[in-house]
Amino acid sequence: MSSRIYARLAVTNIRNNKKTYVPFLLTSVLTVMMYYIMDSLARSRDIGNQNVTTILMLALGILILFSVIFLFYTNSFLIKRRKKELAVYNILGMGKGHIAKMLTVETLLIGASSMALGILGGLVFGRLMHLVLLRLLRHDIGITFRVSGISMVYTVLLFAGIFFLIWLYNLFQVRLASPAELLQGSAAGEREPKTKRILALAGLAALGTGYYLAVVTDNPLEALNTFFVAALLVVIGTYAIFLAGSIAILKALRRRKSFYYKPNHFTVVSGMIYRMKQNAVGLANICILSTMVLVMISTTVSLYAGMDSIMDKRFPYDFGVRVYGTDARAQVDAIVEEELSARGVEEEDGIAYRYGGGAFIRQDARTFTSQASVDYTADGVWEMYFIPLEDYRALENDPTPLAAGQVIVYSAGAPYGENAISVEGQEFQVAKEVRQFKAGARETGDDVTDRLYVVMPDEASILDLGAVNASYGYVRYFDMSGTKADCEDAVWALADRIQAEVPGSLCENRLLSEESFFELYGSLFFIGLYLGIMFLMATVLIIYYKQVSEGFDDRERYRILRKVGMGMREIRRSVRSQVLLVFFLPLLMAVLHVAVAFNVVNKLLVMMNFTDTKLFMGCTAATVLFFALLYAAVFAVTARQYCQIVNE
Amino acid sequence: MALLEVKNVKKIYTTRFGGSQVEALRNVSFSVEPGEYVAIMGESGSGKTTLLNILAGLDRPTAGRVYLKGNDLARVKEKEMAAFRRQNLGFVFQDFNLLDTFSLRDNIFLPLVLSGKKYPEMECRLEPVAAKLGIAGILGKYPYEVSGGQKQRAAVARAVITRPQLILADEPTGALDSRASDELLRMFAQLNRDGQTILMVTHSVKAASTAGRVLFIKDGEVFHQLYRGSLANEQLYQKISDTLTVLATGGERR
Repeated sequence: MSSRIYARLAVTNIRNNKKTYVPFLLTSVLTVMMYYIMDSLARSRDIGNQNVTTILMLALGILILFSVIFLFYTNSFLIKRRKKELAVYNILGMGKGHIAKMLTVETLLIGASSMALGILGGLVFGRLMHLVLLRLLRHDIGITFRVSGISMVYTVLLFAGIFFLIWLYNLFQVRLASPAELLQGSAAGEREPKTKRILALAGLAALGTGYYLAVVTDNPLEALNTFFVAALLVVIGTYAIFLAGSIAILKALRRRKSFYYKPNHFTVVSGMIYRMKQNAVGLANICILSTMVLVMISTTVSLYAGMDSIMDKRFPYDFGVRVYGTDARAQVDAIVEEELSARGVEEEDGIAYRYGGGAFIRQDARTFTSQASVDYTADGVWEMYFIPLEDYRALENDPTPLAAGQVIVYSAGAPYGENAISVEGQEFQVAKEVRQFKAGARETGDDVTDRLYVVMPDEASILDLGAVNASYGYVRYFDMSGTKADCEDAVWALADRIQAEVPGSLCENRLLSEESFFELYGSLFFIGLYLGIMFLMATVLIIYYKQVSEGFDDRERYRILRKVGMGMREIRRSVRSQVLLVFFLPLLMAVLHVAVAFNVVNKLLVMMNFTDTKLFMGCTAATVLFFALLYAAVFAVTARQYCQIVNE
Repeated sequence: MALLEVKNVKKIYTTRFGGSQVEALRNVSFSVEPGEYVAIMGESGSGKTTLLNILAGLDRPTAGRVYLKGNDLARVKEKEMAAFRRQNLGFVFQDFNLLDTFSLRDNIFLPLVLSGKKYPEMECRLEPVAAKLGIAGILGKYPYEVSGGQKQRAAVARAVITRPQLILADEPTGALDSRASDELLRMFAQLNRDGQTILMVTHSVKAASTAGRVLFIKDGEVFHQLYRGSLANEQLYQKISDTLTVLATGGERR
């Protein structure tokens, strides 16, 4: 046969299967486009910030993984549907070699057009995405979007690779099977599945453990580890439950004769059992993808929306400076006075003190020891700050005298409550526990660990502890009052001078860090939305494919049911309840996952200084609602498709 | 009164774009009395299936009337049609039309479940039917686990369990080997002796020769009919064969 024929056959085949191939082509075009845009953004030299680039690169990795799995998965749908058609070609005298050639041309066609259209789309929408990203990062430098040749090369290489794999898989499918098997292709696997009790129980156990971990976590530092373990367990549990649990439940329903032998349940329950084997993985996929979309969008939106409060929390004072050692104390004070008075800016609510601090393990109620390497996820980690009495008096106007071996304590959380304290093996008597302390009033750190402030009689006794010598130094925080321009001016001047003149100093201010904040949270937000949309698209497509292929599978069933005496109305009702079940089960499960994950994700956000639980709750609720609406819309569209196919 | 009365039924199919018209049934009239076992014979394309679809209420005639126990099928509302068919008609198909999703028992229960019958009643009804058809031992099996003959017997059980006025059988032996065919035909004869009215469409002479009366359809019309009278199956077989030969060689109309 001449190669012309293969080309013609390939085109005809694609056209004849357009109900399944058009969505596939659309997906691969979109996937290529999303990849190209992300790639060119990640490689863009205009985004100079390392954080942003790292995040974009990470997202790129996810995209690659996702593209491979997703295109492969949808392709397996297609080839399964087409096995019969290929078998007919085989029986009509086309050798497997010929079929392989035909498939090769098809894959080439689909692959090439996806890449071409995808990159074209990428060029068009890439500019938009570029603008969106920079907008989110609050960069307002005039930037030109360039056509990235290297990204094009990478995109083509990646997708050529993916389509090569798809091609290999398809050939393998054809080569393996005999025509008789191919003919039965889409009818295979239709036996009633066995109940896998052990798998169901294991899934339940995994899900339960995952949920338990997510709910009981209260230490944000633990949350990070817990989150991954819990997520993994929940993913495993979800698959197991959809695979085995669903069948177990359906079979239990079937055993309840009074429930099962009802017009509304009879065909639905039996039909679901019958095809749950193929359904389960798809449903679990939808569930996991939905959960990912929901968590990703709700967290990144929350972070972005809560950025101001995060920064307020992170920078409780208008300006802060910290120097190591105490030698430069006078120098820093002098610079502050000079620069403030030069601009007519007044200092307000200032605090200044010397301290040495570090992480300690609370061994028992009153014993603290420092450790060379502290595992922050362990229980009983306390941040301790040791302040000389002189500085305490200056801050608090509290004349309480301290003898040697006596301390005053202040705990930022629950009261300390003990009358003695042992630090690094030295015993101290607690002369007084105060409930108010300016140094700890505005939280300068995060809420991740407990904090204890210990006022020592003098500097020497602090240094004598040995554990905090390296961090011992001087801090000064204050607010400013004056015109906004003067204040900002003062901030920049102070930062410049202190950093230039005082070695070992660190300035903290909102203005100084704003840019990097916007870069971090802005790019997270961007990625959240970007990948969210990507996963959403995948969810929609999987749902669509499921409905269409189920429609084809069910057509015969409903034809028989109609002949045996089921009216159109009853059929429609049965179709609706089956589709509804199949459709909303994953969504319900996903929402459950999100609800359970709320605690642990919230704790994770605390790590990023985000503590506005209400805002997070609102964002999550809004995301879920929006997602559910979209889901319902997709349901309406595909259910109609399904009914059309069934009634053909 | 006749159980089934078909009067001047005509069916014209119009191709999708309204281009050409195909006349599937020209003018068909006949009636079936209660307790009768009637076979309808004809070649492929003679209009047998169209006729059966119309009798089953799955299709409506272009002209003419069909009465079941005096009820005009055309008067039955679309909404009530499914229930009407369930209550009055039983179906046996060439390809069994059993659902792989159901065990044989559930397949047989299907029409009863659709009619909203309670489970104990269904069990009561099933027992004698299954015993009569010799499938009591395999009720828990799935269609893909049993032989063609067993499938068809389950399908017959599904047809009779609703105690229909009339059983419509469409080539019931078409997909069976000769032994299974014989067995099925014996069961049909037995059912008929027990008082069941059966209308069977077939082009198997063997199958038709077990009926009490044979109608021949050609080009959309009833061409001829034969009564068994006191003939044995073999003798009726011979007469049917002769008639078919006449039909095929283009013999004169009656």
